[in-house]
Amino acid sequence: MITIIKREILEHLQSLQFIILIVLSILLFSMNGWVSVKKHREQMTRYSDGVMGIAQNPSTVQTSLYMHPNPLVLLADGGSKYQPPGYSLAPKGKLTPLPAGPKNFKMPFVPELDWAFIIKVVFSLYVLLLAFRGISGEKEIGTLRLVLSNVLRRNQLLIAKYISIILTTGIPLILGGLVSLCIVSILLPQALSLTLIPRIGLMLLLAFFYLSIFAFLGLFVSALVGRSSVVLLILLSVWILFVVVVPNVSGILSNKLTSVPSEYQTARQVGPMLQEQVWARIDKVKERIKRGELTTDEAVKKETDKAFEEGQEDVRNHFAVYENAMKRRANAARNLSRLSPTALFQFASESLADTGPRREERFLKDAKAYSSIYDSYILQKVGQLIGTSLFSFSTSITVNEKYFHISSPRPQEYEGDKSDFPHFVESSPNLPHNMQEAFLDLAGLSLWNLILAMLAFWAISRCDVR
Amino acid sequence: MLKAIVQREILEYLKSSKFLIGLCLTVVLVGISTFINIGDYQQRQQDYLDAKQSLKGKSIIIEIFRKPQILSTLVQGKDRELGSRIRITYWSLPNQTSGYMGEYASQHQRYVSGFASVDFAFVVRVVLSLMVIFLAYNSISEERTQGTLKLTLANPLSRGQLLFGKLLGGLFVVLGSLTIATLIAVLVMVLHPAISLDRELSLRVLGMWGVSALYLGTFFTLSLMVSTIINRPSVALLVLLQIWIVVIVIYPNVSVILSQHLMGLPGSEELADRRRAIFEPYEQEYNETTKAFIKMVESGEQNEEICIKNVEVSAKRTELYHQVDNEYSHQMTHQMHLARNIAIFSPSVLYNSVMQRLARTDIQESDKFMEGVERYWHKVVEKSRLRYRDLEAFKKSTFQEFTYTTQSTAESIARTLPQWSILFLLSVVFFVAAHTVFMRKDIG
Repeated sequence: MITIIKREILEHLQSLQFIILIVLSILLFSMNGWVSVKKHREQMTRYSDGVMGIAQNPSTVQTSLYMHPNPLVLLADGGSKYQPPGYSLAPKGKLTPLPAGPKNFKMPFVPELDWAFIIKVVFSLYVLLLAFRGISGEKEIGTLRLVLSNVLRRNQLLIAKYISIILTTGIPLILGGLVSLCIVSILLPQALSLTLIPRIGLMLLLAFFYLSIFAFLGLFVSALVGRSSVVLLILLSVWILFVVVVPNVSGILSNKLTSVPSEYQTARQVGPMLQEQVWARIDKVKERIKRGELTTDEAVKKETDKAFEEGQEDVRNHFAVYENAMKRRANAARNLSRLSPTALFQFASESLADTGPRREERFLKDAKAYSSIYDSYILQKVGQLIGTSLFSFSTSITVNEKYFHISSPRPQEYEGDKSDFPHFVESSPNLPHNMQEAFLDLAGLSLWNLILAMLAFWAISRCDVR
Repeated sequence: MLKAIVQREILEYLKSSKFLIGLCLTVVLVGISTFINIGDYQQRQQDYLDAKQSLKGKSIIIEIFRKPQILSTLVQGKDRELGSRIRITYWSLPNQTSGYMGEYASQHQRYVSGFASVDFAFVVRVVLSLMVIFLAYNSISEERTQGTLKLTLANPLSRGQLLFGKLLGGLFVVLGSLTIATLIAVLVMVLHPAISLDRELSLRVLGMWGVSALYLGTFFTLSLMVSTIINRPSVALLVLLQIWIVVIVIYPNVSVILSQHLMGLPGSEELADRRRAIFEPYEQEYNETTKAFIKMVESGEQNEEICIKNVEVSAKRTELYHQVDNEYSHQMTHQMHLARNIAIFSPSVLYNSVMQRLARTDIQESDKFMEGVERYWHKVVEKSRLRYRDLEAFKKSTFQEFTYTTQSTAESIARTLPQWSILFLLSVVFFVAAHTVFMRKDIG
């Protein structure tokens, strides 16, 4: 069997597609390293400036919580360009995404050139190109019969072919990965720490696990169908389905399968809601003034502040309904796309790299935990908690024939010593937890591997070698 | 004889399973995606109409809504991503549209932004282009391997005629498939009550068919050329697939990365500095006026002079800030053009830019809208002055409806002529190369 593996590897190494794969791999992984360095530098500058700004000017009105830039976006970006760099936190736990800063929205949409993209698109195709002639090619030139006339069993031949494909693909993959890591560690030595090595190693293992699906698929179809060109056509059709069609179509299918309230209607309901929740309450305060129940400025201010504050809560909840519906739609799209091993690999990579929506969820959990500490600090320093909203209101009221301007309450800035201002510390990523997140995706990939391996063994056992 | 070759080619392609699979996949994807995209368009159109109808009164805060494009059902482009609303006042003129909920609350679209849109243009660009490769990769090499090439050329038929016959036969099948896909898309649109295709839109759809034909023709001639150069069909297919993945996936991606690195854009700090610098001469006056205005509002007394002064300085500030934003917008456009120029030989990039221009879902359409918004803003400032100068006249005055000039079909085609020409040129070059190689080829 070792002889077969050696022969296969030698043949693959001499093939045109292997040379092209090596060149492409080095080119793409170099670009990945280069782009990641630039992106990480920009993110770190922004993060350091933001954190330093908070340390220098801590505020009881509002503070900003920044997500620590993750150098492992080079493995799987996880849609970082759509994620905010952090959240602003106002009293009472009001979290608002920070603006992402200027970006060129005129540029065409292109996927991020991360490891996950290179592996899921380029390497998966090349595995098929290496595998499609595995059995059918030998059958066409008659060597399959010769090989099997030795003591070698069919299963052993399949295993040898499988191992040789994986090992051959491993060379450009590991080489490319090393090039990318070298670029990052030379240009940005502080970004890659030793603690990240297990994640990078696991990412490589995951890549092999994913590529193994395509190796089994290639060998299965190659053993099942006699003509190499037909094998290639079938494999490419499946590849398009897995890599292009399913992940993209799931986005538009989720539009049909999930209902999201109209954005305009959601926005439109805000006006009447404010009218009902804020201004109706203010009118009641005015009536109480007329009835003589409220006679001092302080009493009126207290009541109007309460009216403004309570009224805005409903508006916040109203926006949350729309946001949650959008999140459900995104989850539906992700779940639908899980039919494809490519999507399973993508999501498992994001979990391993600790990027993507789950990373943001974890950050938000930390932010919510911090918000209670922040609120306690404000209560201790200022004495009262006032939330903020997207809307501010002002009107005038006459109390005892005296004109009185009122506006929605604003949190107060504590002017004293703020050296004890609580610092936000984001919980560090935990590899076992990330692995647990990736469990379902890994199970899906295992299932694909198992099914296709069984099919490949079944096909070769029934293959007519003549 | 040429006619016989064309007929034989057509018949062979039609009988092949790869054609059937490709056509079925195309028809299903085009039908489903157009239907779903129409639903999305219908929702956005309803929102737009509701939003326009709700505009009442003479507020100093003006909302302008961007109409969704009907042909976004075929080519989504930037139409949805860019948002539909812009809110302007004499003290504010944003440089881009947002969702109906405003710049921050509308961010929720980001949750689904990672999923690429599937539309007619996507199906042609990815699925049909691959089908063309599958159809043509072995058109010469397989005949040579099987020996039929020698037999065919034993007839009174020149090599040039044979190649031309193969081109005509192949193009007939490819364009036939494209026509079926286009008709399916148009049929789904016409049968849907939310869509009405007028003459201009029909012309644009025709233009889309034309550029799609040219795009697929480029892939066909490329496949023909590779099939002529490389003798083994499987190797020809391997080479074509590698070209396809580079042209469709890698090259456009690399062009964007390169343009971003070759031409950097200013960061938020730099933009803030630019704004500060440009407004510095007026800052003191602005601060004083704003203070006086706030004091006036809090006192409850109306002072016409302070109000008008406040409009003047706020409008000046907005105008100057917008100058900085415009400059930044031009830099973004240059960066985008650089990316396009780097990818000038990618048929996929050329095709996308023409399709988006024809569907009016490209960035130029959005730029034209923003130019219209800027012109309208000057009218808003004028009205705001009038409001404080003469309230009665302001009440009597009418607000002119917002309009902006859009590109006519002829202009859209004229503007995309370079892309049409390059696609045509690529097809010609590939065919000439195939012809030259074929004339000298050892046919075994």
